Amino acid sequence: MRREEDGVSGDCGCAKCEQVLQLYVDRTLTEAECREAEAHLAACPHCAGAYRFEDALRRYVRKCCDEPMPFELKERLTALRTAYL
Amino acid sequence: MTEADPVDARRIASEARDRVRFEEEALELADQVYRVARRLVSTREEAEDLVQETYARAFRSWRSFQPGTNLRAWLFRILTNLNIDRGRREQRSPATEPIEEGDYYLYNRLEDAGAPQAEEQIVERLSRDGVVEALAAVPHDFRDVLVLVDIGEFSYRDAAQILDIPVGTVMSRLHRGRRVLKHELAERAVGEAR
Repeated sequence: MRREEDGVSGDCGCAKCEQVLQLYVDRTLTEAECREAEAHLAACPHCAGAYRFEDALRRYVRKCCDEPMPFELKERLTALRTAYL
Repeated sequence: MTEADPVDARRIASEARDRVRFEEEALELADQVYRVARRLVSTREEAEDLVQETYARAFRSWRSFQPGTNLRAWLFRILTNLNIDRGRREQRSPATEPIEEGDYYLYNRLEDAGAPQAEEQIVERLSRDGVVEALAAVPHDFRDVLVLVDIGEFSYRDAAQILDIPVGTVMSRLHRGRRVLKHELAERAVGEAR
């Protein structure tokens, strides 16, 4: 079930699946390409895991970067507003 | 002085309302603007300056914003332009050597390093600081795209408009940037395990 170095490179579809990983996760594959990738994912636990990992990683990176804006900055920005009245 | 023309007065009042609304809507996006800015530059201070300059310029040139178009993208265009103008490009990172590892590399490494787990838990083997550092190690040109798409959650098309580059370039830089990020993450993950 594992990877190319286990001797199943070539026709199994893993290499192709790895190539379209980014496009798949970004939902920019054509419908036909998407079906082809999904057929392989359904049959290959390793690729399916790698795809889930990619998705989880992206969400995790976003979460790690979630640094709240300093309160003083918010005040400074509000002070930039045009004064009416 | 003659009395203000009522038509003029109405126009002025309506413009004032538009301006207030524009400023309010822009300020509602400030958290998102800061989050992206923070990852584009190295320090918190630089990020704060960049955000403040962005809003100062946005409020000055509010008339050039077309109502009904994407305000978020418009703000980020100002922000990325200011960031480039700040001479950040002078400290251009050295040419990166090609990354040989494929897109599964990090997954394979982490998966091999521990007990079988769900992917949601596997990512948590990476430390928060490690992720932030790894992202900072991605060269600017790739990082701009990566941060806009993965943290700012912009589409390829919006990112292309913001950075004024073709969509194809967004896609290739994004792919490349994510590979560098995963390579950096793998190095840190291995370091932490030892």
